[in-house]
Amino acid sequence: MDSQPTQPQIAAQSPAREAWIMFRRNVPAVIGVILLVLIVGATLYGSLFYQGDAFSIVWAPHEPPGVTPEFPLGTDYLGRDIVAGLLTGGGPTLAVGLAAAAITMVIGVSFGALAGFYGGWVDNLLMRITEFFQVLPALLFAMVLVTLFSPSLFTIAMAIGVVSWPQTARLTRAEFMKIRELEYVTAARAIGARNRRIIWTVILPNAAPPLIVSATLTIGVAILFEAGLSFLGLGDPNVMSWGLMIGANREYILDAWWPVTFPGLAIFFTVFAVSLIGDGLNDAFNPKLRER
Amino acid sequence: MSRLLEIDDLRVTFRTRYGEVTALDSVSLHVDAGETLGIVGESGCGKSITALSVMGLIPQPPGRIAGGAIRLQGEDIVGASPARLQALRGAEVAMIFQEPMTSLNPVFTIGSQIAEAIMLHQNVGADQAFKDAIALLDRVGIPSPDRRAHDYPHQLSGGMRQRVMIAMAVSCRPKVLIADEPTTALDVTVQAQIFDLLNEIQRDFGAAIVLITHDMGAISEMADRVAVMYAGRVIEEASADDVLDFPQHPYARGLIDCIPALGRPDHRLAEIPGVVPPLHLLGAGCAFAQRCAHRNDRCDREKPSLVNHGRHPVACHGAEESRL
Repeated sequence: MDSQPTQPQIAAQSPAREAWIMFRRNVPAVIGVILLVLIVGATLYGSLFYQGDAFSIVWAPHEPPGVTPEFPLGTDYLGRDIVAGLLTGGGPTLAVGLAAAAITMVIGVSFGALAGFYGGWVDNLLMRITEFFQVLPALLFAMVLVTLFSPSLFTIAMAIGVVSWPQTARLTRAEFMKIRELEYVTAARAIGARNRRIIWTVILPNAAPPLIVSATLTIGVAILFEAGLSFLGLGDPNVMSWGLMIGANREYILDAWWPVTFPGLAIFFTVFAVSLIGDGLNDAFNPKLRER
Repeated sequence: MSRLLEIDDLRVTFRTRYGEVTALDSVSLHVDAGETLGIVGESGCGKSITALSVMGLIPQPPGRIAGGAIRLQGEDIVGASPARLQALRGAEVAMIFQEPMTSLNPVFTIGSQIAEAIMLHQNVGADQAFKDAIALLDRVGIPSPDRRAHDYPHQLSGGMRQRVMIAMAVSCRPKVLIADEPTTALDVTVQAQIFDLLNEIQRDFGAAIVLITHDMGAISEMADRVAVMYAGRVIEEASADDVLDFPQHPYARGLIDCIPALGRPDHRLAEIPGVVPPLHLLGAGCAFAQRCAHRNDRCDREKPSLVNHGRHPVACHGAEESRL
């Protein structure tokens, strides 16, 4: 059977590899990856090349950027080095964003998938629970959770996850209700697939594109949320983060623009990079957009 | 010896906003190994509900099997546990769907989808299953199957996709293969190829085929026996030749007159006036009475039952009286 000389293997690659090939061709997505790698690299290894403690007062307050060579981006209202703040604050910011997005996706997709797939009383029960969380003002609820459990990176990530999953659940439910009725789901049943299998290996991959986009947006929202909590003074005071920098310097924004602008730009570029990657992933995993 | 598949007095009801309607009413059918049973009728007469009942795929609720039995090799599957049904589906009974365009999962390659069907019922590894899938693709006539196995459904034509569906359906050598209008979505030249393939598969695997169709041409090509359905009931049942040459029920006659004849320009194509009545409006009498040219008072009062009045079983008062 296999004695023939092997034909040129055109498509004999795993789906992951094909997706990677597609992804590589997507210029914006590659820009996103480069940007994110630079940001993550800087927050992980920046301290090796740039010495400085984010919390210690090293110079006169409100030194503008580009004036003193030791402090290229200037100092904040207490005279702390902004570059050091950006480098040390990036890790916790990214960690909270990722963890919160992961929690959001896990709870939201599970609730939405079960509700949308089973319908009936399961749907009713899960959606009433979802609505209970949805009607609470998100920021206020997160503030309550954080103060209740004392602010730390973990409780902040948890609080953001707990207040943001309802949208994901709604989105997942809608996708599941739509796909559940399609013929290939009946066909999967007809070959003897179980419900669990149909939910996770038949419907979920087909529902993935909007969920991937939603996940990347959630990372962005979570980073902004963390910034908001820090801005309100509910961040972990012992851990530097971009949000904390913005929050601490907000009162002096009219006197000194740089202590809030640079962390703000850092957040902007991170969210931007993650969105580009999300779009790229979405295209890469859509077989219909692949070249024939 | 018991039949391979036997449907006995099956009654299926659906809850609708008009109340509970009867979608299948005392349907009895059977099919043996190596045999092809054709089920014909217009849209909405209960053909697909019959197929889904056998697969255990009636959506419940709103559907409900209100009575009767479906016996697969003697085992009644009406009351079977969901786990048992899952084990039977694909392994003992498999189904080919009408729309090959939408019956394949768009995000997986066809090879992996067939391999998955194999792994659901057979204790083989992923590599072996994929090899088996390629062999099956070869068997159903897909050229260069080792490369095609890595294609996604949208990269294939409709006929190719239906071949893939057939490969998936026969992957575990089911005893009964239900084909629900397998060629309706395909063009005529491809239809003939698919029928040839089904015939070959049947010869190789010895499966019983239940062919659901509204196309009398398909019946004459494929079926050994035919059941004509109307408004949820079997109204005539006989060998394919018998039904095609000597239809007893006015509805069956009408269906056969609807086949266009080539090379006869003077021949006016017949039609059956009206449509299948909505199931919630079925009265006490014969469901076909309003559309029937031979109706009399008795047709409005009394539902005819499926009785042999000479040639073969038919549910029609007219056929009964003309024999008397």
